[in-house]
Formats: sequence, C-alpha cells, structure tokens
Amino acid sequence: MLGLLIALVQLIAFTQAKSSSGSRSLVIFDQRLIYLDDYSVFLGSLKERSFELDYAPVTNDSTPVELFDGEARRYDNLIVFPIKSRHFNKQLSAEKLLNFYNEGGEIMAITTPDGVADNVRVFLNQLGIFPSPKNYQLRDYFQDNSELVLHLPASKVLNEHVVPKNDGEIVYQGSAALLGDSDLIIPVLQAPRTSYSEDGQKQGGKWTIGSQGYLAASFQTLKNTRLSWVGSVDLFSDKNSDSNKHFVQELTKWTFKEKSVVEVVCSNHAHSNGLDYSDVPYKIKDEVVYNISLREWEGEKWVPFVADDIQFELRMVDPYYRITLTPIGDSSFTFQTYTTSKFNLPDHHGIFTFVVDYKRSGLSFFTDKDVKAIRHLANDEYPRSWVITNSWVYLTAIYSVIFTWVIFVALFVGVKKSANVPIEKKTN
Amino acid sequence: MAQSQALRWIQLLLKCTIFLSMTGAAVSSRLFSVIRFESIIHEFDPWFNFRATKYLVNHGFYKFLNWFDDRTWYPLGRVTGGTLYPGLMATSAAVWHGLRKIGLPVDIRNVCVMFAPAFSGVTAWATYHLTCEIKDSGAGLLAAAFIAIAPGYISRSVAGSYDNEAIAITLLMVTFMFWIKAMKTGSIMHSTLAAVFYFYMVSAWGGYVFITNLIPLHVFILILMGRYSTRLYSAYTTWYAIGTMASMQIPFVGFLPIRSNDHMAALGVFGLTQIVALGSFIKSQVSWAKFKTVMVVSIAFLLAVGVFGLFALTYFGYIAPWTGRFYSLWDTNYAKIHIPIIASVSEHQPTAWPAFFFDTQFLIWLFPAGVFLLFLELKDEHVFIIAYSVLCSYFAGVMVRLMLTLTPIICVCSAVTISKLFDVYADFSSKATDATVASPISQKTRIMTLVTKLTVCGTFLGYLYLFVYHCTWVTSNAYSSPSVVLPSRNQDGSPALIDDFREAYYWLRMNTADDAKVASWWDYGYQIGGMADRTTLVDNNTWNNTHIAIVGKAMSSPEEKAYEILKEHDVDYVLVIFGGLIGFSGDDINKFLWMVRISEGIWPDEIKEREYFTSSGEYRMDEAAPQTMKDSLMYKLSYYRFPSLFNGVEGTDRVRGQRIRQQDVGELDYFEEVFTSENWIVRLYQLKEQDPLGRDLHSAGEFARSSARGFKKRIAKKPSVDVRV
Repeated sequence: MLGLLIALVQLIAFTQAKSSSGSRSLVIFDQRLIYLDDYSVFLGSLKERSFELDYAPVTNDSTPVELFDGEARRYDNLIVFPIKSRHFNKQLSAEKLLNFYNEGGEIMAITTPDGVADNVRVFLNQLGIFPSPKNYQLRDYFQDNSELVLHLPASKVLNEHVVPKNDGEIVYQGSAALLGDSDLIIPVLQAPRTSYSEDGQKQGGKWTIGSQGYLAASFQTLKNTRLSWVGSVDLFSDKNSDSNKHFVQELTKWTFKEKSVVEVVCSNHAHSNGLDYSDVPYKIKDEVVYNISLREWEGEKWVPFVADDIQFELRMVDPYYRITLTPIGDSSFTFQTYTTSKFNLPDHHGIFTFVVDYKRSGLSFFTDKDVKAIRHLANDEYPRSWVITNSWVYLTAIYSVIFTWVIFVALFVGVKKSANVPIEKKTN
Repeated sequence: MAQSQALRWIQLLLKCTIFLSMTGAAVSSRLFSVIRFESIIHEFDPWFNFRATKYLVNHGFYKFLNWFDDRTWYPLGRVTGGTLYPGLMATSAAVWHGLRKIGLPVDIRNVCVMFAPAFSGVTAWATYHLTCEIKDSGAGLLAAAFIAIAPGYISRSVAGSYDNEAIAITLLMVTFMFWIKAMKTGSIMHSTLAAVFYFYMVSAWGGYVFITNLIPLHVFILILMGRYSTRLYSAYTTWYAIGTMASMQIPFVGFLPIRSNDHMAALGVFGLTQIVALGSFIKSQVSWAKFKTVMVVSIAFLLAVGVFGLFALTYFGYIAPWTGRFYSLWDTNYAKIHIPIIASVSEHQPTAWPAFFFDTQFLIWLFPAGVFLLFLELKDEHVFIIAYSVLCSYFAGVMVRLMLTLTPIICVCSAVTISKLFDVYADFSSKATDATVASPISQKTRIMTLVTKLTVCGTFLGYLYLFVYHCTWVTSNAYSSPSVVLPSRNQDGSPALIDDFREAYYWLRMNTADDAKVASWWDYGYQIGGMADRTTLVDNNTWNNTHIAIVGKAMSSPEEKAYEILKEHDVDYVLVIFGGLIGFSGDDINKFLWMVRISEGIWPDEIKEREYFTSSGEYRMDEAAPQTMKDSLMYKLSYYRFPSLFNGVEGTDRVRGQRIRQQDVGELDYFEEVFTSENWIVRLYQLKEQDPLGRDLHSAGEFARSSARGFKKRIAKKPSVDVRV
C-alpha cells in the first residue's frame, strides 16, 4: 500500500517540471538597464529546464506588478533583475515581496551598483542581507586586469549543497553585501580579502571591507522557501557564460528547488515486536523502534537521501534520548530508510514527542513529529509478590500466622471440654 | 399491650412520614440550582469528577483504575487512576448501571447532577441514628431535620455540585454512627461496619484523615479518663485493623497509613490500647502498689521510646512529615509564607465570623448549649461528640471549607439542646396528673407554668420557622449558582444569565485542533478539560507546584519571554479571564499576584513581587502601574483592545475602577486574539507561528506596522552586524 502510494507520488513528480515546487516564473527587469538578449544563455537554460517565463518590464507608468490572483500566488518563481526606476517601489512594495516570499514563492534577486531598488533592498534587509546601496562598487586592486572585475576561484564556493565546487573561475563585477547572523542565511560566495566596496563618488564610507562582504548569498525560510541574492548582473550575462555557467545554473537550480530538496516519505514507530501504538499503547520501558524514510529531489527524479548525521530525539520538554539514525535496507529504492534500532522507552511516564528535526544549511529542513503518551505500569503489571524473593519472608510470615491461627482455633474448640473441668474446680 | 402495639405502629408511621418529608425537603431545597439555572455540573472540581465518571462508565473499572490521562498536565500527564479518590465515581457509576438494569437508562450527567441531593437524604438518616445513640429519637428527628436543610451542608451538596464532599459527609456520619454503636456495645459487627464505611470514606475524600484522628482521640480521652473497657478494646482494635488494611487498598492512599504523620495517632493509640489491655490484665493479677510502680516506669519508658522513635523515623524519612495543609491548620500564616499555592485557594482562607451565622443560623448559639448539656451527662459517647465539636470549631475557624465538617455536629448538638428544652417545656401531659395529686400548687402558679411553657415553646417554634425560612433563602440565593453560568440583571431589572464560559469553551471545542494545548491559570483546567475537551497544562489538581509556577511565570513575564516558555511546552492557545468590562471580580488580574508569588517561589531571581506594585505599594492597572506590570503577559492579554471599546484612548476597568490607557497596553506581536466572549470574560489568544524568516516576532510586527503606515523613504544606513561565525 505504502509502495503504491510512493509510486503514485513519483508519477506525479515525473509529469511535473524539474522544479519540485512549480515552474510559473516571472522575470522583472528594467528596460533602461537590462537588454534581455544579453542574458539569453541564462534565460535559455531556464526554459530548457521547462520553466514558463513571463516578463514584466518596469516602465515609467506605475501599473502594479501583480504577484497574486486573489489569495493564490500567480507565480512560483520570481527573478528580479537590477532595477533603477523609482516607480518600481509603487509597483511592487517590499511588503508584497515579503508576502510573496512568505507564501512560498521562490525569489532570485539581482542587484548592481546602479540598480538597487528600495523595495528589494528593504525586503532583503528583513532577511538579514544588506546589499550595498546605490553607487557602491566592489573593488579589488589585487586583480590582474581591472579593479572592478574580479576573478574568483570556483572552489571557494561556501556551500556544497547550493553550488558544488569545481575547478573553474567565476567572473564577478558588481556590489557586495553585509550579512546578518541569522542561521537561515546561507553564504555562497565571499568577497576576497583584498577587496572592499565603496561609493563610486567617494562620498560615504566603506560598506564592506575584505571578507566581511559577500557576493552571493542564499536564504531558506523555516518553511523551506528559497531565495538567492547576487550582487552582480554580469555574472549572468552571455559574455561571461563560459566561466560562470556552472555557478549560475547550480544557484538557480537550488533557488528554484530543483535540487537539495529533502522530504520525509514516511515515518513510523512501533513496538519492537511489530505492534504499533494503536494496537498497544506504549508503557514505560517498552522496547520500541522508530523508522523514517527520506528522499531527495535531484532535478529529474527522487533519489535516496544519504546522510550520517540524522538524529532522532525522544523529548518531553528536554530530550530523554538522542539517537543517531542508521540506514537500513538497500538503497535501490527511491528513498532510504533510517532506523534507531530497538531502544527502551524511559522509565518515566508522560507525553513524549518522537521527533526528527533536521536542519542543515543548504538542504531543505524537515521536521517529523509525533506526540504520544507513555503510560505507567498498570496495577497488575508489576512483578507479583511470589516472584520477588525478598517478599518470601513476608509471605511466610502471613501464611504461618494464618496456619497457626487455624491450628489455635482448632485446638481451642477441640481441646476445650476435657481441659476445662479441672481448672474450674481448682479455682472454685 | 394491644394499645402499646398500636402506639408503636402509629409511631413508626409517623417516623416514616417525617423521614419522607425530611428527605423531600432535603432534596427539593437542593434543586433550586436546577430550577434557577439548568441541570449542569457546577464550579471546577465537579467537572473533573464528571469527566472521570464518564471515563469510568465508558471504559470500565480496570481501565479507570489504571487511567493515564494524557490530556492534563501536558507534557507530564497524570496518573489519574492512582491519584484520585474513586469512591464518588464508582458510586455514581454503580447507580447508573443499577438504573439501567431495572430499565431506567438515565444520562450519566443527570446521575451526577442529582447525586448530592440524593445522598443528603441518607445523611439525614445517619444523623438520626447517631443522635439517637447520643440522646433519644426525638433529638434524632430534630438533628436529621436540621442537617437536611442546614446551609452549611447544602453549600456543598446542591444539585450539580458533584464533588467528593457530596458523598463524604454522608459517609462521615454513617461511620461515626457505627463507631458510637460499636463503642457502646463492643460489638465486632458494628465496628466492622464502621471500618467498612471508613474504607468507603477513604475511597471518597481526602478528609478521611479527620476520622483517622478523631476516633483514636476519642479512645485516648476515654483511656485517660479511666474508662477503658473490653468493649472499647474490641471496638477500636477491630476498627483499626480492618479499616487500615482496607484503606491501604486505595491506590492514592497506599502506604500512607503507616508512613505519614497524619496517621500516626491512630497507630499510636492502637499500640496504647494493647498496653492498656495488658496493664488491666496485670492489674487484676497483682496488688495495687506493685502495679503502680510498674505502670509509672513502663509509661515513662514507652512514652520516651515512642516519641523518640517518631522523631527518628521522621528525621530519617521513613515517615512522611506533616503536610503543608496540616501546618496551615495551626498557623494561618504558614501557607501564605511557605506554600502560596495552598493560600491562593479561597476555600483555604480563614472563615469570616458572619459565615457561621449565615451557614447555621440559630443553631450556632444552641450548639454550645448542647455541648454543655452533654458535659452534664458525660457518657462515653458524649465524649466523642464533645471532642468532635471542639476540634471542628477550631478547624472551621481556620479554613472556610471546614465549615462543612462542623455543620453536622452543630446540628446534633443543637438538636440535643432543643429536644432537652422540649422535654421540659413541651411536656403538657404531666400537668393533668399533677393537678389532681398535688393540691398545694395554686391555680395561679399552674397558669403561670402553662404560660411559661407556651411562651418558650412558641418562641422556639418561631425560631424553627425562621430557621427554615433562612435556610431556604440562603440556599436559593447564595448556594445555587453553578458559577459556570453567572446570574445577572438586565438594565430593566429582569434576570439575565452571563454564559461566557460555556460560549468560550464551546468555541474551543469546535474551532481548535483536537490535540491543541491550552494554557490558562490552573483554576480553569478542569473546566477546559471537561467542557472544551482540550489538553491543559495545569489544572485544579495542584499536585505539581513547579508546573503551575511555569504558567505563572509565563503570565508574569514580558511577551517575548512568555512566548518562549509557552512554545517550549507546545502551547497553542492561552486563555485568560477578564472581568473588567462586566465587573466580574473573580478574574485573572485579581488572581495575578498569586501567579507572581508562586513563580517567585521557584525563580526568585527572575520574578519579584515587589516589581508589580507601584512605588507606594499599590496594586494598580492605570497609568501609575509599574512598567513590569504593564509589560506582563497577563496585563497585555487582559487589556488588549480594551480601550478601543471606549474612545480608543482610555477604558474604564469596572472591577478595579481604574482607567486603562491604550499606550500602556500597546500591541501584541507574539499572540493573536482569536476569540473574546460576549461580555469579554473569557479571552482566547493563539500563539503566533514563528516568523518563517527567522526574525523575532516583535521586529516582524514592527515592520508590518511601519509599512501599514505607508511608504517612507528609507535611507540606506550601514547596519551594525555581528560577526558571522
């Protein structure tokens, strides 16, 4: 039954686009800054991966960009190119962007020194990403050709789940950002130690100095909605596509949930003899086993999710157990099952939570929770008195008293007549 | 002979009629609550008893005995089967099954509602027999009539008041009745019956400790008075042996009878009777002088060993020391200082003097007269009544709820007084015989005597009439409110009902997930469990002080801290009771200081009672309130949106008579109002989900508010960012 269900889910997955969340995408760009033909490789690869692209050029009239159709999202993904127009703030407010993101829409935000729209900046600030303001340019005088064009080794990418390392290099020209200390931010590309970002007109101070700055950062909400920010539009342009193609492709794949998406297929816990909670509720010290099956979307199909750091917790406010899960069964399926092996429930009754809470930067988060009561021993489930050797003393005492009493009564009743007469005579 | 036979029949008929009418009066006066309101379970504890009874009826006794309740005290759960007195539930389940067997399928709720009135009839019967043993059947009938309608007892036994006391007072009187009979006759059967009913009592109410101490006290006093007899010996030893063994079968009691100080007196007296029995045997064998020295030495030795042993065993922890409730009986300030949770219960407050008159009317001044009359005779059984009277008078003065145990003895003693009075003054028969025989008494004296007698009898009949009138009035006006539904008046004076509690509980039941956890102050735990059927964190079974303190701490902490505490315990909803709009003074703000005190007891570094008062030591809610108070979750949840009902700036709290300012209440960021009842008595809040973007909810709320105010030009300023690690 479960297998059938999984097969069904897979079938649905196959008929869908490659993204595990959705393919309706909107590209917002400023016609004054961006000539879309310059990005044909980037956009072409998206189309190739069966994304449906809509275009919303930002012009000087302020027709609002509608991301919602009533309550429902109109798009699954949003690509925001650098935008200069002041009208954009009115067309799509930061709150709308935030709302779209909160409702599960993935966002790829690109800013450049001349294209940092206020709304995008305010929105990113809420996440803890602080791109440098207008006119701030990232510079590095230790580069070969120009201080503005940076050549970064692709092996310096910070998160393997977002962009796997390779040997090439990344050509980057644009701005940098400061990052807050939120755990949900995934730094992807760090600025070189010799770089800094400064206002082109040399008015303000420096925004970032050295490796304080970041060139690309991703973000994943607690609900697994993803966002990536890149401080350079040149990174995506056709002229740099030879060197940057890998990086751009992997970053968009991650952002639009084409990879690193981990899912719980099913989880269950039961007595070690196979009976589950609905058959026999748990009591203290029962031997139980917890299993969880996980799979990962790798762009085309679901594959088993393999990791050795998944932990199971049995909690009642505080964890009573923390067990590292071990894989069982062969992984030729589309999922991998992990188990705690058999363990004994604590000697403490209460309402416990069986939980696997896996949060790793770059992978989608999953939490599998089940709250179940563990009852105390019933009055007849304790060892009986005759089983406990210590109690034999007391048992002997009880039965000897009973026995003696019976003997005494028997004697008292039986012997009375013959013994009674002489005593009475004596006292008289 | 035939005449006396006929007389006896008439007497029996009369007695039966009197009993029937008394039971009728007892039951019908307890039905005011059903007529005024409806057939509903009252107050707080009865809701738990009702829920437990339903569980027993649905799942059977075995499951009930081993019931692990996962819907209370989340996440600890409660071993309910092992921590309750099952007598009440078992009895009503038996009644329910019995009625079904004879073809009367009655709803279990109606069985529970009618339970207390039904048992009040039995109480009257037991009181009658008890008083018969003390004086005669005339006094017995009076005592039975008194107990049937005395408000002190009715307060805990109106229809719907499905509490342990409803059955416990009945059992108390039955046990005492059998004890007196056993003690008088030395009958093993009667003392066994006393033990059996003692067991029943143990299974029904924690107040059984009163019997456990009163009977030994009686025996002890009798021994001290030199009234030891073999009858006393057989009665007491039989009662103690069987009663103790039986009481240990109740899981909640377990080994307490041999391990707790509350029960040591009974054990000690049991030992003493053995020694006294041995002593009296020796006394019959040896000379008086020898016996005297033996006695003095052995008594001194035994006393020393006993006292030392008790101290040593208590010190090493083999015997549980006295419980806090016990200490608070002797020192009324003890609980307030050491165990605020006990002091926070209004039932545990010392009794106000008018309450005595309110609950017993003219019986209260007949009561000492009755005790005095018993002193004059001072038979063995009178000693019992006197000991009971003295002890309970004290206890009733210390704790309001112990009025309940005092009422029966007041009824008995007053009945003795009145019957004595009527013996003398209502005896008009002697008049006729006297007139013919004793001539020296003049006509004038005779008339004067008659007038005196008529005056006294008339006065007391008047008093009795007033008593009945008073009882009816008190019952209908003071003791019949279910406190789930509140009586009130419309503006035109017509009666109205405030039904906010049920409205809110029903909302919870219909609109929240089945496994939703509701945090509220413990007073409402049983009601939420019974009426809304949702999981609660704490309830009226206050067994875990720390867990209660957690809720108290959450209520007294600022929003973000409270959110953290509550989230840790998987809470989904918070329920507060707010009376400020309608003027309901029993609300959470008035109980708030107890929450502060209880949590201060556990976390003295974080919660300080002093910080909730103004600098001049006042408890205020208006602009003068201290910042800690204004920040506390209780303040916010109570007054959230309250000023908007008035002019949006200031609202008037009708309980405190203070003006609440909107700027003090502020915004809620971590909680979301989901329901407020018609008169704002019950307010329900949901804990907001964590912000998916990982911001704290306050800054998320700030952002949403600032954007709602409209777009402003935001200047990009370099943020001060912590170093990423």
